[in-house]
Order: sequence, then structure tokens, then C-alpha cells
Amino acid sequence: MDETEHAARMADPTREIALRVDSVSKTFKVHQERANSLKQYIATGGRNRFEEFHALRDVSLDVSVGEAVGIIGHNGSGKSTLLKCMAKILTPNEGEIIINKRMAALLELGAGFHPELSGRDNVFLNAAILGMARREIELRFDEIVAFSGLEQFIDAPVKTYSSGMYVRLAFAVAINVDPELLLIDEILAVGDVTFQQKCMEKFVQFRDDGRTLVLVTHDTSSVRNFCDRAIWLDHGVIKAEGKPADVIDEYTETMLEAEEADDGSARRGRGPIRVTKVEILVAGTRLDRVRTGDDVTFRLHFETPESVPNPVFVITLASLAGVAVTAPTSRDADEVPMTVDGTGYVDIEMRGLPLIPGPYVVHTEVTGWGRKRVYDHIQNARSFDVLAGNSSEQGGVVTLRPTWTWTGDGVSDDRYS
Amino acid sequence: MSLRTAVAHRNLLYLLSMKELRTRYRKSVLGWSWSLLNPLSQMVIFTVVFLYIFLRKPPVGDPSGLEIFPLYFLAGLLPFQFFSISVSASIGSVQEGSSLIKKVAFPHEHLVLAIIVAQFVTLMIEAVVLAVAFLIFGHMVLPWLVPWVALMVLVGLFTTGVALMLSAANVFFHDINYLWGIVAQVLFYTSPIIFVTEEIPFAWLRAITNYGPTGSFVRASQEILYDGHWPSIERWIQVGMYSTVTFVAGAWIFNRLSPRFAEEL
Repeated sequence: MDETEHAARMADPTREIALRVDSVSKTFKVHQERANSLKQYIATGGRNRFEEFHALRDVSLDVSVGEAVGIIGHNGSGKSTLLKCMAKILTPNEGEIIINKRMAALLELGAGFHPELSGRDNVFLNAAILGMARREIELRFDEIVAFSGLEQFIDAPVKTYSSGMYVRLAFAVAINVDPELLLIDEILAVGDVTFQQKCMEKFVQFRDDGRTLVLVTHDTSSVRNFCDRAIWLDHGVIKAEGKPADVIDEYTETMLEAEEADDGSARRGRGPIRVTKVEILVAGTRLDRVRTGDDVTFRLHFETPESVPNPVFVITLASLAGVAVTAPTSRDADEVPMTVDGTGYVDIEMRGLPLIPGPYVVHTEVTGWGRKRVYDHIQNARSFDVLAGNSSEQGGVVTLRPTWTWTGDGVSDDRYS
Repeated sequence: MSLRTAVAHRNLLYLLSMKELRTRYRKSVLGWSWSLLNPLSQMVIFTVVFLYIFLRKPPVGDPSGLEIFPLYFLAGLLPFQFFSISVSASIGSVQEGSSLIKKVAFPHEHLVLAIIVAQFVTLMIEAVVLAVAFLIFGHMVLPWLVPWVALMVLVGLFTTGVALMLSAANVFFHDINYLWGIVAQVLFYTSPIIFVTEEIPFAWLRAITNYGPTGSFVRASQEILYDGHWPSIERWIQVGMYSTVTFVAGAWIFNRLSPRFAEEL
């Protein structure tokens, strides 16, 4: 199914509802002193002292058949609680969750694997836990094993598996449960890059088959690339809902403001020179979001009460996963002034920014010439988003602007798109 | 528990029971023999105590005419041991399944039921060995195995009720496990397994051993296997009442508490 067909289906107002969350509230008791022995229970007169924590407040939403919905929010926003309520693991205090389709929830790969049992026995057990009937499992068994690529090891106990093998087998079972409605919690963060790619392909295929997906994640880029709709949950209420690009932009903006407010960045160094501000400019305009291929200038403002000899400035761009993409220094560029005093700024221009779309952070550092003496180091000095620009690449972290050339008699000159 | 989800997940129950049976004696040299060695060692100990220390005479089976203490002992011990071991193994089962309960929606009672099913299979294997012993001593026990298995199904219901109740309660109060150790002892010594009810001089103590929840099914089992006669209709009603009431109460309590497991664990 191609994108336009998918879009057309999403726009159809009569489409069927796969999942309805109807004014759901969920509170947890936060025990100050939890009585879990009878003695304590009797001593406190049967009353535990606790505070109520409202994880969800009156949340309502509908998910249509064939839709991919991403739920984003910071830690403790209630997004995982909402997913667990949808998965019927937690029971809401108020409201109702109606599920019209065969549902499977992937909250943790391999939950319920028993280390002493063989891979084969665990496939059967795990599939049964996920709600599959025996005949179905038997029919799909070969497919599951083939997907995991563990044919040779399937009769060995799972305790002898490496963690990679474990995850592969678990994912193979989970994806073959063949649900019409799939709930996923941060599952894309598991395994190596190849494995994540394999998961992603499976999910895309899943969506294109017209099935329904609800994804809870920190990773706004996967929501941006993959979902039809984003829902931003904040302190247990829906703060925004709509097109992924709009919701995520609003979300990241607020997150940035919050960061500035409580200055959650980690700073060390003895001074005297300080980086006071990091600005991102494209064509002279300050921005929070840039596009792949833009000529981007990072402007580091500094301040020092006394003269500092030959300071080395370092700027590190890193993905949210912590991968440092690049870390140029002023020393590498032979741009270290003999002395710096007072205030000023240094511009670092990066032409044709090769970062693929997603969230990134900037770390800054000022050191002496030998790099041993750290004047000022700021972890997460600021963050910014890269949006899709002149490249449609999504794999990896950077695009190296490859050129593709075909050779062969049977290769047509026309290109499919 | 909703019967519908239990039926829909019967495959899960089967696989969890198999897991119980397969993993139980992993890494033990004697493996499955342990499930027989345990009652046999108890049999030897209590036979010596009963016959040579307390100098009691073994009860006479009527109408079977059997006069063999070890057989009397095992006829009472096997159902009791099925009950007490099943319950003590079940108590922690919900707690141990916490990683699963927090991550997957499935009928939680299957964690408990799987243990009961596995123990029931063990009981049936033990029963075969016991039947052979009866045959060796010249008592034709085979036709009696039919009502005995029916009785064991009732005992299974009773056991399930207690196990569901206590495993759910254990999520909230971890004392249940220790408490059960004491209760199981009390039930063992108030059931006529190592003594004979008729020889007790006090009427009230006789009543407890005869009509208590475990005493009643222990007596019924001895009547069928050792004495070789059908238990009275009153006895069947008694055992049936204990079983159904306990099962319904246990299932109700478990159902009430199970939606809270995921957040309490």
C-alpha cells in the first residue's frame, strides 16, 4: 500500500475504531511506610499512610483501525501507565478502555522466558502467554524460528543464549502473534542497530498491512517518521494531539524551556572563562530546528573576568542516544587566540549539515592548550532538532551524500518511486 | 476467574503445568524418584514410631481385613501431602510471577492452577505405586481407584480454593508463607493420618479429626483404599461442601485482588 492510499484511509471519517480510551483516570498509592507484614498492618490499625499520585487524569482518545499513533512525554508523564491500562495490565480507577481488535502488547521482550527450558519450549510458552492457541503456534513455529535465525540453537536451554539471541527469539515470537492492534513500549531501543532496523521494517510492514499501532517512546524521531498522529501526555493529561511534526515541535520547545528554567545541564570546570550561551543560526536567523543540508552556525558566547591565554574551544554534537557525531576544536582549526578577555562569541559554521532528522544535543568545553586544564565544560548545553531537508535518508546518524549508479543490461533506466 | 478466559488460555495452563513438571527436578540426581522417596521416608519413620515406640496396633480394615500400618498411613498421607505441598508451592507463585504480571496481560490464576495440575499429576503417579503395594499385600484395590480419583478431584478443588486465597493474600502480606507452615502442621496432626480417630478418648477431639476440612477427606480416602468400602453419603456431602465453598471463596477473593497485582508487586 502506498502513502497516498494510507493517507486517504486516515482521512475517512467513517473509519472503524480499534481502541477507545474513555475518560480514564489512574491513581497510585505512594506508601510512605508500606505495611507488608501482618504485624505492621495490625500496628497501624489496618491503615497504611500513603499519598495518592495521579498518573492519568480523565484521558480520552480514539485510535482508528489502520492508524499508527505515537504517545510522547517526559518521564513520569503517565504514558507508560496509559499503555499498561490499554494492555489490560493495570485497571483504571475511573473510565473504561474498549478494545475491538485482537490486541498484543510488547512491553518487554521475553517476559516469561524460563532459562532452564529450551528455545523451542520457550517459544510455545511465550506465545501461549501472549494468547496464542496451540495450533496457531504449531503453524507458525518454523516462521518464528526462521525469523530469529536460531535454528541451530532452538533445542538448547535459553540460559545458554547470548542477550542478543534472547532478544531475537523473543521478538520473533512477539511479532508473529499476529495481532491486529499492537501496543509497543520503547521496544525499538532494544538490541543492536541491525536488529532495530529489522524491527522497524517489520513495523512498517505491519502498518502498511492496515493494522493498528500504538507506540510509546522518548524517541520523537520515530514518531515523526512513522506515526500518523502524535499525542503528548504531560502530568497525566493530554497536552497536545495532532500531526506528529506539530506536536513534537511544540513538545521539544517546551522541553527546552524547562531545561533552561531548572538548568538541568551538568557543568564542571574551574573557570575563569565561561560559555554563557549557545545559539544556532541559519542565514543569520536564530533557530531551534534546522534541516539536513542547511549551512548551520553554532555561536558560543563567552565571558571572562580576567585574561585567559590560548583557550581551546570544543563543540560536540551528539545524538540523544549519546553517540558523539562530531567534536571539532579550535585547536584543530588553528583558531586559538593568543589571549581572550571580557565578553565575545565564536562562530562555528558547518556547511551542509549532514545530520539525519532527529533530536540532538550540544556539549561545549573550554580548556587550556594542553587540554588538561578544563575551564568550563557543559554537558547538554542545549538541544536542537534536525528536520528532513535535502536528503531522505533515515538510517544511521549522518548522511554522507552517496551517489547511486546502476550498471547491467537488465536494469531499466526508469526509476520506481 | 472468568471461565471463558480460562478456557481460551487452556493452552497456557497446559504449558505452564508442563514447565512445572519439567523444571522441578532439574539438576537433581534422583530426579522424579524424589516425589516417591519423600512419602516413603515418612512412612518408615511414622511406622517405627507408631508400632515400636508407641506400641500401637495397626487399625483393621473393615471389610478389607488389612492390618498393615504403612498402607493405612499412605492412604491418608498422599491426599494430605498433595494438599499441603500444592498450597505451600502456590503461595509464592504470584509473587514469583511478578515480572510477567507487570508486563503481560494474562489470567493470573494460571500461575496457581499450573502448580495444582502438576502436583495432581504427581499424586496420580504416587497412587499407582500405592496401588501396587496394596496388590502385593493381597488387597484388590483396583476398582476402588475409581471413587478415589473422584474424591481426589474434590480434594483438588478444595486445594485450589485455599491456594488461590493464600497466593493472592501473599502479594499484600508476606507473612502468609510462615503462617502456612504452622497451619499445615496443625492440620496434619488433627487429621487421622498417624493415629486412628476411634481410639481418641475425647469426643470433641474425635469430632475435629473426623469432620475437619482435611480430616474429612483423609478419612474418606482411608475408607475407600484401606477399609475397602464406600464412604457414607454424609461423608461425600461433607467433603463436597468443604470443596465447593472453599473453591468459590478462593476464586472470588483471587478475582477481587488480581487487578491490583500489577501495581502492588
